[in-house]
Amino acid sequence: MTLPPGLRKLVLTVHVTSSVGWLGAVAAYLALAIAGLTAQDAQTVHAVWIALVSTGWFVIAPLALAALLTGIVQALGTEWGLFRHYWVLVKFLLTVFASAVLLLHLPTVSRLAATAAAMDSANPTALRGELLHAGGGLLVLLVTTTLAVYKPRGMTPYGWRKQLERRTVPHRDTGK
Amino acid sequence: MAAPAPYPGTPLWVKVFGIIALILIVLVVIALFTGVGGEHGPGRHPLSGALGGPVLPIAHRAPRP
Repeated sequence: MTLPPGLRKLVLTVHVTSSVGWLGAVAAYLALAIAGLTAQDAQTVHAVWIALVSTGWFVIAPLALAALLTGIVQALGTEWGLFRHYWVLVKFLLTVFASAVLLLHLPTVSRLAATAAAMDSANPTALRGELLHAGGGLLVLLVTTTLAVYKPRGMTPYGWRKQLERRTVPHRDTGK
Repeated sequence: MAAPAPYPGTPLWVKVFGIIALILIVLVVIALFTGVGGEHGPGRHPLSGALGGPVLPIAHRAPRP
């Protein structure tokens, strides 16, 4: 199924916005984690945890799901397909992986934040995990963005077979 | 009719990417199960819904004197 041009542009706009927004939100999350790790007082550490929980659940998670969903629609609704080109497939797998890690990790962030809030002293060591997760996430998102911009050549065996089929079997509407 | 062109094979960038991904996965698994990565591991991640979604830590804070 091919999306009509107007709808394709709308989905593409939402996809680019959510993907780049996801990257920016993770960068902000990383900055917050660093601010918390270097903080000396408990109040700042508590504030950082509140910001991390809010950013994670209400900004990063919705953007990640929007990017994943619109990416699938965009791939299946255009000639690119989801499994025909390696760059699309690799980008899809990386996005699924990053989204899964994110959704598995966010309840842990809530739990650690609640633990930190119950403590009266600054104990920023738990934020090391946030640094690792946000750093890894940022790296994965930079790779997916690079793949989307450069679109390196290479078709999967499935994509190659489909391309040959399209060349050998003429389209009904073009055969008239 | 000419025979269809053979599949050109997997591109080099995909192979390099796959090797790097495999090395990273092995390193993460080692870090998770040996404790090299600090306080971390599968037990640190509760099953989904275990906490019932987003809970702002401010709700758990005891009032300060």
